[in-house]
Parts: sequence; C-alpha cells; structure tokens
Amino acid sequence: MTGTSASQPSYLDVTKGLFSWIFTLDHKRIGLLYLYTVGSFFLVGVILGVIMRLELFNPGADIIEAQTYNQVFTLHGVIMVFLFIIPSIPAVFGNFFLPIMLGTDDVAFPRINLMSWWLYVIGAIFALGTLIFGDGPADTGWTFYAPYSVKTGTNVSMTVLAAFVLGFSSILTGLNFIVTIHRLRAPGMGFNDMPLFSWALYATSWIQLLATPIIGITLLMILAERVLGIGLFDPAIGGDPILYQHLFWIYSHPAVYIMALPAMGIVSEIIPTFSQRTIFGYKAIAYSSMGIALVGYFVWGHHMFTSGMSGPSAWIFSLLTFFVAIPTSIKVFNWLATLYKGSIDIEVPLLYALAFIFNFLIGGLTGLVVGALAADVHLHDTYFVVGHFHYVMLGGTGFAFIGGLHYWFPKMWGKMYNKAVAKLAFAIIFIGLNILYFPMLILGVMGMPRRYYDYLPEFHTLNQVSTVGSWIMVTGLIIMLVNLFIAHRKGKKAPDNPWNGITLEWQTKSPPPLYNFDKMPKLAKGGPYNYPNAKNS
Amino acid sequence: MEDSYHITGYAEHFGTWVSLILLTFMTVFISVFGADLNTLTVATALFIASVKALVVAYYFMHLKYDPKIYRIMILIVMSMFVIFLIMLIFDYLTR
Repeated sequence: MTGTSASQPSYLDVTKGLFSWIFTLDHKRIGLLYLYTVGSFFLVGVILGVIMRLELFNPGADIIEAQTYNQVFTLHGVIMVFLFIIPSIPAVFGNFFLPIMLGTDDVAFPRINLMSWWLYVIGAIFALGTLIFGDGPADTGWTFYAPYSVKTGTNVSMTVLAAFVLGFSSILTGLNFIVTIHRLRAPGMGFNDMPLFSWALYATSWIQLLATPIIGITLLMILAERVLGIGLFDPAIGGDPILYQHLFWIYSHPAVYIMALPAMGIVSEIIPTFSQRTIFGYKAIAYSSMGIALVGYFVWGHHMFTSGMSGPSAWIFSLLTFFVAIPTSIKVFNWLATLYKGSIDIEVPLLYALAFIFNFLIGGLTGLVVGALAADVHLHDTYFVVGHFHYVMLGGTGFAFIGGLHYWFPKMWGKMYNKAVAKLAFAIIFIGLNILYFPMLILGVMGMPRRYYDYLPEFHTLNQVSTVGSWIMVTGLIIMLVNLFIAHRKGKKAPDNPWNGITLEWQTKSPPPLYNFDKMPKLAKGGPYNYPNAKNS
Repeated sequence: MEDSYHITGYAEHFGTWVSLILLTFMTVFISVFGADLNTLTVATALFIASVKALVVAYYFMHLKYDPKIYRIMILIVMSMFVIFLIMLIFDYLTR
C-alpha cells in the first residue's frame, strides 16, 4: 500500500505495448491476461460442444465419425476443465480483485504470478499441440482412465503433459493467494473482516495447493507406463486400473470445489450489494467454504461406485458425500435470508447470481442422486451425469463467472455496458442452458449412455431438443460478448461505485490506479457488508 | 519471532544431512537387499520417507523457528495424507 494521496494513472494507462502486458507484474493486468486467454479457450470449448450437439441431432454419423467424436469430447473436456473452469474465477477475478479487496497493492509474489500465467500458456500450447503432433488428440475422455489411456495410439502423452504443466500454474496461483491473504491484509483487517470472495479464494487455494500435486504425479505415472512400460495401472503388466481411478479422483473431486467455491464467493459479493444489506450469516458462509474444501477431500470414491471398488468402501464414500450438502446448503439458505427484506435492485449481476442458485440447486440435488450408491449403479455413465455436471459447471460456475464479469466490468475498464441488452442476453442464455441440459437428465434416466456418437431411436426427440437449446444458448453468449465488446470500446464512463458496494474495490477509481488506491482505503465499521442505511432486521 | 532472523550452526546442518543419508541407506537396504519385512516393506519405506520429509521441513526449511500456526498447517496436511492412504488401503483390504 502506498498510502499517498497523489493521483496515479490507471493501470491501463501506465505503460503501452504488447511487452508491457505479457511481462507485466501488475496483478490486474495478469488478471486480464487470464481473462483473454481463458475466455478464448472457453469459446473453443463451446465450438467443440456445439459440434458434438450437431452430431447428436440425428442418430448415426452425420458430420463426424465415431473416432473423431471421441477426440472432440476429450478435447472439449480437457479445454473446459483445465483451461477454462479451473483457472477461470481465481485466476481472472482472484488476481484482479483479491489484493484490492484486502487493501494492498499486489499479490505476495508478483513474479510467480506472472510465471503462473506463462505456465498456463505453455500448458495450453501442449493441449492444442495434440491437434498437430502425433496421431491426433487423445480419445480417452478428460479422465484419461487406464488401461485404455496407456494403450491408445492417440497423443495421450502430450495431453497429459499439458494437464501436468497447467497443474503447476494452478498450484502457484493458490500459493500466492494463501500468502497474500495471510500476510498482506490491510492494517486492522482480521480474517473475519475479509470479504467472502477472499474467504472462498482462501479455501480454493488450499485445495489447489494440496490436491493438484496428486494429479501431477498420477499423470506422470501414466506417462511412465506409456513410455517405459512400468506396470502401474495396466493389469496386463501387473498394474491396477482402480488405483488410477482413486488417484485421479483424489484430485479431481476436490477440483470440483476449485470450480465451485470461487463461484460461491462471487455470489456472496453480489447478493449483499444488490440487497443493500448485511450478509446473513457471514461466519457461516466463510467457514462453510473451509468445510466444503475439507469434506470435499474425502468423497472422491463416489465417482467409482461401479469401478470394482469394494462394497464397504462404496457405502462409506456414499455416506461421506452427503455431508458435503450441509455446508453447501448453509450458503444457499444464507443467501436467501440476505435477500429477504433487502432493498433488492434487479441488476444484471444479481440476475446471474439468482440463476446460479437455481442452476446450482438442480446440479447439486442431481449430484446427491448420483452420490446415492443404489441410484448411481443405474445412472453411472449415462447422460444424467452429463446433465448433472453441466448444471454445476456451466449453470453454476459459468453463470457466476459471467455474473462477476458484469459486476466488476465497470471497475475493470471504467466503462458501463448496455444493461437492457445484457438482461436480454441473460434471459436467452438462461433459457438456452435449461433447454440444453435438462433433457440430458431425462435421457440419462431413460438409459442413454454418455460418450457415444450414436443412440437408439427412442432418444431422438430429446436429443433434438437439447441441440436446439445449444443454439439458443450460443445466441445469448454472442449477444453478451458483443455487448461487452462494444462497452469496452465505446461504453459510457462508469462511476467509481455504480452499485453502491462497500467492499474496498468500490473505494478506488474505475479503472483502478497502478497501486490500487490513491489513499488508504477505510474499512467499513462492523464488517465488510455493514451497509449504513440498511434495515438489518 | 517470525520476523526475527536466525543463524543455524554448521553442526546442525551437518547432523541433519547425516541423518538424511542414514535414512536413505535404510530405505535402500530394505527395498534392494531385502530385510524380510514382507507386507510391511512399503509401509516402512513410507514411514522413513515421512521422517525424512519432516527433518527437511523442520531443520532445513526452518519450520522450528516459525510460529506455531505453520506447524499446525503441516500437521493438518500430513493428517490428510494419512487419511488418503487409510481410505485407499481400506478399499484394497475389503475387496
């Protein structure tokens, strides 16, 4: 913190040119670098998803063959999971806003922060390099299940290497945030005075730090088995394929919370701002983030009920899974209680936050269905699972990401978007999403398996409905992007605090100066959400 | 305490190094030359590796000078690792 009162230029105007961006140490610019790269890969992932939906419009091979379909859904999964959802909110909004919300001038290790982005770029190049090098992209699904991933001729090695490098990027971001939160909070800001987005990032960072190395070493084991023929997972050479699934999901289930927790953090920021009242149950929301992070570590086995894992292990994992619902529902009830009797202002970010609750409720409750041992035996590897996790990831995290973008857009660029167009885009995306994914839940219950380019005639109508949903959703996404692009180029100047927020980012200029504040920000008395004019009844 | 600097003597560094070398020899002896531990071979190797990690963290990485909170963090992390192992082994034992 500089603590000076002299006005500094905005972080966008300090220096110009490509190198001033790609070698920047400013956390805000690094956040934007992530936004542009993560956003680009999101679009690539969407295009791949639309190709899959087009192929599934009719049964049989229409526009792509079976093998191409396998590679497309693998690349779609790898890009969406490793290049979009995992880094999205922490790397973009965490980088941009965590230091500002804590009242400091940067993250603890700015150079490591930049290295983290470069590692992300290198990992992305490896992932996309599979399109050019070797025998084409992996066809294993994003889970790389052994022993198939050990035996297939497609370029699994390079895809696995990509995920390995991306893991390092994730670890470094997590490490940076943990140290920043411990060491760089503004004077007088205790842990319980932090905004809830910071709490969510703190819980997420611990998962990134502790769980990611496990997937790293597991992916290296796949490489060792492919290259050196060491028998780790392939039963033909003495390995155990179930061990792979254990190691993979020890990371990848907590990774679901790397995706969900920051999204919940954004919702916890948006709801009090647009209700203009103190958040209900601050500590309950903050500690439930830590609770989700902790319990989330011990439920990985619910992905493996049909793998051949032992019966006693299966029911223990099923039981533990239900405990995750407790801290999650604590958050939902507290958000609703915050809205109750608040001065609700239906702005675009709030619409996305409310849609998050709606979508996440469907995603979460269907998660409990597949978390129940008996039900999962029937639903495992059906479209029910595909519908479930898309509700969580796109309906939940994706909506929170877009909501966060609309919430902080005026702060990041100092411009305001056309709100009417943004609301129209929201409505189209929301309708499209539900038409796209809800039929998948029904198809799954009917017994349609996932990961096939073809299906039986009785699944035809619902597949067509789902594909039409994808067209609607993409239309909404295009309207949203064009609206934000126009706002970025020639939008009206936004005030410093367009939403009457009281967390620290709303005390600085829009866009913020290089060192975030021209003068020391004042912490709100009574906590970060203590709105002075609110009737906190 | 946390912001004060400290100088570690050569004797302590040397002692740490020697203990790590000895523990490495022990691991090699058990796995390569066979100490007839049967099913406990892997568990013993993991135990020795954990002791080595603790020695490195405590002496080389100066955890002993850090505030208690960092030791608690390490303890939580190690406990989680142990729980992972227990849950994994439980699956194998009950199949």
